[in-house]
Order: sequence, then structure tokens, then C-alpha cells
Amino acid sequence: MRFKQVLPIIFFFPVLLFQITVIPLISINGIIPDLLLILLVYYAISYGQIYGTVLGAVYGFLFDLITGSLLGSMMLSKTVVGFVSGYYSAETQREKFLNTYAFTFIILLCAVIDSVIYSFFSAVDFNTNIFKLFFDQALLPALYTGVVSTIFIVFPYRRNFN
Amino acid sequence: MIKFFSKIWKNFKEYFVLILLVITSLIILSQNKNQEVQKVRAIAFGSFAVVTSIVSDLFNTANIKSENEELRRVNSELMLQVSKLREYGILNEEFRGLAGFKDTSAFPLIPANIVSKSFSKANNTFTLNVGRRENVKPGMPVINHQGIVGIVHSTSEDFAIVRTLENIDLKLTVKNERSRIHGIMRWDGEELAIINVPETYDFKAGDRIITSEASYLVPLPIPVGIVAEIRNVETEIFSRVKVKPFANLLNIENVFVLGIVQSKQKENLELNFYNK
Repeated sequence: MRFKQVLPIIFFFPVLLFQITVIPLISINGIIPDLLLILLVYYAISYGQIYGTVLGAVYGFLFDLITGSLLGSMMLSKTVVGFVSGYYSAETQREKFLNTYAFTFIILLCAVIDSVIYSFFSAVDFNTNIFKLFFDQALLPALYTGVVSTIFIVFPYRRNFN
Repeated sequence: MIKFFSKIWKNFKEYFVLILLVITSLIILSQNKNQEVQKVRAIAFGSFAVVTSIVSDLFNTANIKSENEELRRVNSELMLQVSKLREYGILNEEFRGLAGFKDTSAFPLIPANIVSKSFSKANNTFTLNVGRRENVKPGMPVINHQGIVGIVHSTSEDFAIVRTLENIDLKLTVKNERSRIHGIMRWDGEELAIINVPETYDFKAGDRIITSEASYLVPLPIPVGIVAEIRNVETEIFSRVKVKPFANLLNIENVFVLGIVQSKQKENLELNFYNK
């Protein structure tokens, strides 16, 4: 395995550290962007669907293990996200998806999928309004993550991630 | 045959990998209560929390000024309360002596800082910088000056994970301070509510909710919140009492772990809500 394919695992730890210590400071009514998802989608588009799926599983498993959330829930959602975002890794269009605002829309789609699956396994309660739950737990965090991902598009040193 | 399978693998390998990993996730999901898994998890979060606490301290210094002002205000309020309580205490000692009650009020408070927060809407958890070394054990209540914050879920040598009030896995036995009616309070991913309360029960908006002595986890009257709203659910037999917690989980940084050791005898006798 080449070094650059191990790099995403190394990046995971500082990004997670940032996610759980600094990101809560910019929360809006308890809603925070998911930086790990942005990183995962970026690598899934860069290296392909299988790589994205496996990386999603690794990211999710480590996240569950470290943060104390229900073990396996984030692993499942991030695996599916890695798989879905891998669809956008076609060699001819890869640059287009990574360098334009299409990236934001892919993030938005993946964040909704991620939140829906994660919520299903960690917060199913039939007394709750499903639409409100979808809005609060999936759509709003997804929008926030999408907005934050635009910074990634204009980030000048992004190539260093590879 | 080999050629056939190799062709299938070549065409569908992405799906095979996905299915394999999804099945692995589901197996892991079913192993959450396994003791070995809990141990591995304690080691993992304990190791990472060492780094988190350093970073967290750096950012917390920025908030110290506002926190100091808040603490000074709380301090002066407490000073006034303490002088009142001293008087009540003297009277109380006399009454206790008369009634022959046993003094059971000395519970140790273990001060702790929150080193990281997992802001999941449904499974909100905090990591504290105290662990087994400070005698923190799973099941101990975590409080601040406003009221109860959560319950210690797991511990490592130096750190502990707390399930906050905004965690669907935490269910607490609470009671209405005015009417003395008990109920089970839980977070449903959206709001904190006392569920399945018969409509005839006496709950009013503004009532103070405290933890109940019936709870084996928190057998002390610790403030939880106030009744914000009472809603009738579709069956019109039960009500749903929405509770607004006193503790603000968004900006909380310093807490105390209440060193209550759960009574095993009581645990065996009573319904254990903590272990679902």
C-alpha cells in the first residue's frame, strides 16, 4: 500500500480532535458541521468507490470507539457514505467534482444519507415527529456541513492532502 | 467456474465490499454490551482523551474571563444561600436528633472538566478528565451548580464518558417537587420529556422536577428542570410532560461527579432503568 493511501488515516486523528474540541464552539443551536464527512467524501472521490467504502468503515469505527457513541452506528453510515461518494470518482470527471461547487452538493447529499442512517440506528422513537426529526437531525447538519465544505473548495493548499 | 466467479467479482466487487462492511457494522452494533468491547472502548477513548484534554485546555482559556464573572455571581448567590442554610441546618440537626434519623448527607464531590463533547442530537456524550484513579465509576451522577447533567457511562484510568440528559439511552426516575408524583424522564432526540404520565396526574407548567429517591442511580433530590409544557398524546390517556433542564449543556465546562456508590442490594431489588 502506498503512503498516500495511508495518509487519510493519519489525517483522521487531527480532524477528529478538531471536530470534538473546536467545532462545538461554532455550533448553531447544537448543530455542527461534520468535517470527517468532508474528508471522507474528498478521498472517496479521489481514490475510488472501494477505497471510499473501506475508508468510511474505518473512519466510522474509530469515531464510535473514541467518542463513546453506539459502536457500529457511525461505521454503518460512513460506510454507505463512502460507497455513495465513490460514484463520483470517474477518472474523467474527478477534477470537476473536486474543484467546483458540485463538491458541495455531493457533500450535502452524503451528509443527509449519513445523518438519516445514523439517526435511524441511534434515535428511533415512534412518538417523535419523523419530519421534524429529519429536518433537525439530517437536513440542518447537512446544510451546515455543505456550507463549511465550500471553504474546502477555495482552500489553496488542498493538494497537500494527497 | 473460476473464470465465472472472477467475472462476477470484477463486475460487482464494490457491492461485495459494501455488503461485507455493512454486515460487519451490524455485527458490531449487536456487540455493544459485550464486556470485552467495553474494555477496548475504554482504552481507546482514554488514550485519545489525553490529547483532547490538552487541546481543550487551550481553547478553554479564552472563556475563562466570562466564566469567572459567572462564577463570581454564582458565588455571591451561594454565600447568601449558605448563611440561610446554616440556620436551617441547626434546626434540621435538632429535628433529626429528635426523629432519630441517620445522617446520610455526606457525599463526595469530584471536580471535573469537560475535555470533549460529542454533539450528536440523540446520543450526546461528554468526556471528563477524571476516571478510575479518582474513584469515578459508571453510574455516578454528574452535576453542576444548576442541576443534574448526566450519568457516567464508562471510565478509563484518567477519563470518563458521560451520557448527558440529551442522550436517548439515559432514562431517569424523577418526581414533581410540588405534587411528589414520580415518572420516567428521557430524551427522545428532540426534547426532554416525562413519558406515559396518566392524564389525571397533577403536573402543572412551571413545576420543578427533581431526581427521585426511588431511582437507584440518583437517590438524592437533585434539580433537573421545570415543566415547560404538558401535551396529551393521541390516546388521550397519557400525557407527555416536556421538561426544560436547568443545566445548559451547550456551554457547560466544569462539573462535579457525585461519588454515590450504588446500592447493589437495592439494584437487585428494583427495576434497573439504567441498563434498559
